Amino acid sequence: MKAMIVKELKLIGKDKRSFFFLLLMPALFIVMFHSVFGSAGVSGLSIHAIDQDGSEASRALLSQLGTMVEVELDDPSSLDEQIGKIKQGQFAAVLVIPSGFASELQNGQNASLKLYEDPASQTALAPIHAVLGNLSDRYRELKISRALQAHGENEAQVGKTMASPIRIESVPTASDQIRYVDQVVPGMTVMFVFFIMITMTRRFFEEKKTGLLARIRSTRIRPIEYLIGMWVPFVLTVIAQCAILFAFGHFVYGLHVGDLSALALVVLGLSIAGTGIGLGMSLIVPGESAAMVITQLISMGGAMVGGLWFPTYMMLQLIQTIGHFTPQYWAQHSLLDIVAHGAHVSDVLGGVLVLLVFGLAGLAVAFFRLPGFLRSAVS
Amino acid sequence: MTTTVKERPASTGQSQSGMLLEVSHLRKSYGKKQALRDVTFALKPGVSFGFLGPNGAGKSTTMKILTGIVKADSGQIKLFGRDATNDIDAVSRYIGYVPQDITLYEKLSAYDNLEFFGQAYGVNGGELKKRIREVLEKTGLHDRAREAVATFSGGMKRRINIAAAMLHRPKLLILDEPTVGIDPQSRNRIFELIRELNREGVTIIYSTHYMEEVEALCDEVAIMDQGEVKAIGPLGELLERFGRQSIYLEVAGMQEPPRLDDVSRTEKEGSGWRLETARVEPVMRQLMQLASSHGWNVRQLRVVRPSLENVFLTVTGTALRD
Repeated sequence: MKAMIVKELKLIGKDKRSFFFLLLMPALFIVMFHSVFGSAGVSGLSIHAIDQDGSEASRALLSQLGTMVEVELDDPSSLDEQIGKIKQGQFAAVLVIPSGFASELQNGQNASLKLYEDPASQTALAPIHAVLGNLSDRYRELKISRALQAHGENEAQVGKTMASPIRIESVPTASDQIRYVDQVVPGMTVMFVFFIMITMTRRFFEEKKTGLLARIRSTRIRPIEYLIGMWVPFVLTVIAQCAILFAFGHFVYGLHVGDLSALALVVLGLSIAGTGIGLGMSLIVPGESAAMVITQLISMGGAMVGGLWFPTYMMLQLIQTIGHFTPQYWAQHSLLDIVAHGAHVSDVLGGVLVLLVFGLAGLAVAFFRLPGFLRSAVS
Repeated sequence: MTTTVKERPASTGQSQSGMLLEVSHLRKSYGKKQALRDVTFALKPGVSFGFLGPNGAGKSTTMKILTGIVKADSGQIKLFGRDATNDIDAVSRYIGYVPQDITLYEKLSAYDNLEFFGQAYGVNGGELKKRIREVLEKTGLHDRAREAVATFSGGMKRRINIAAAMLHRPKLLILDEPTVGIDPQSRNRIFELIRELNREGVTIIYSTHYMEEVEALCDEVAIMDQGEVKAIGPLGELLERFGRQSIYLEVAGMQEPPRLDDVSRTEKEGSGWRLETARVEPVMRQLMQLASSHGWNVRQLRVVRPSLENVFLTVTGTALRD
């Protein structure tokens, strides 16, 4: 068996395609995703605004707005140009303070603001609507406060009247804050672990097509030794893949890797799940093309519903439920717990157990299919 | 049928009957296709045995059964004195198998390939290193050992293909058409290698559909066709038994060959005629008399030695390359 393992490791080491799929691609995806989404939490929400009134009141409104979002003030005469940009999809909305805003306010009228928006960008518009609603509430509260004061209430009485009957208290569930890198490094690692299935299937078919498997049958290597000898190198490869990608995340993006023993345990469970499924698939599929399709389905489909790209709470309830049936969900969930929530070995045992069940199911399929696979290789 | 062949320096492991290998009534089908109908033969130790037959004759299937790659549907195999019908693994350490295809890891070096196959046959450590050096020297590839097999010529790959089956010093080496698609120089080198192994006492089973390879390498032959052993025995015996002797006659201007009682068959060949006969000397005398009396301008008159091709034709009713 040692001969098989050493030989297979040498072959994997010389396989440039595997290097591309297992290391280069995920590293590129981490860089790409992080550069696109990673800064979202830092810069926050921004809104384009045009001040056509140019009054003290309009500047005060923009100042109020600036305490809630980043305001990008455009030239008052550039409304058409900004609307054109919205149509081109460059941003979702532009807030216009029309001339006459200050006088309407002074006269006690409803001073109107205009929000030009792209109806197709509902996701981006929702937080803008929320912020503007908040701004409107602040103006209403100010109006009510003034009215109460006019009716003879002092400041303390007004404050008491204006206080909300409910209070929302934020309670952090972990000492660390989840950053996008905490999501993307484990996510991309888990996603690309399952690409090992392509390499595994290719290797098994090469062995079969070239007659090497038949020749190995004439040696003293027994079928079960052959199977394990082919499998173990891929487990080691996935462990190395995870170690390199997490090291990349740590050294390049400052990813906090958490409890190393817990991380090692999840990586071991993940490698057994990915390669176990890969082994079962390699011995079942009729050809390499079918294997490619199935791998894409498992890798990309599992990544999507398993919450590797975005947190699961952002997805539909049905998708979240389906996600629980994927190994990706359990791997990602456990890894996030370690890197972002300070989980330890005992906290991730459940997730690891589920991963092992997936891996063992694949191994069982491979074990029962092995005699048929060997027969097909020699006839 | 069993062989009767001169015995070479004895290897260990033969049965009480003195045979190294005894195969009885081997049958094998792949689905509806019957690959082996009834194969029976036996080999004494140290012999160089040739399997001759066209593609699909059953040579490869027989070899795969002997190496445990394929299981026979029925029949019996006794190897090295043990019943190996259902347990080839028990004797596999004594068998080396060279498949028809070049089955090597092209991305790995020759050394890495040999190391893998050596370990696969149970050889390890310093002993393996020593044996790798030995086989590399025997195959003349010592200088290229660390280069990837993918960079080798067809002949070099074939030599490493054979070397990979020699590392555990097998007593029986089974070679399935090991010279397909290589140049004459590489072929001669492989022949030398096989002869050397045979001289060292290794029993050889060599499969081919080239008559000249059997004639050059083997002292015993089995002619296979349609899943059966049609004839088996020492090469000389087969030639004597099935080979038809003939006389080649070429006379200037001759339109029709002479009709003689002892000539069983006449066939046009080149510019002359081939006359098949069991009585070469009397026919030769008759022809010389006719030449003298008729004043023939004889360009060629010679005895044609019976060939294996001739034997194959007699035994199977078809030419080997039909």
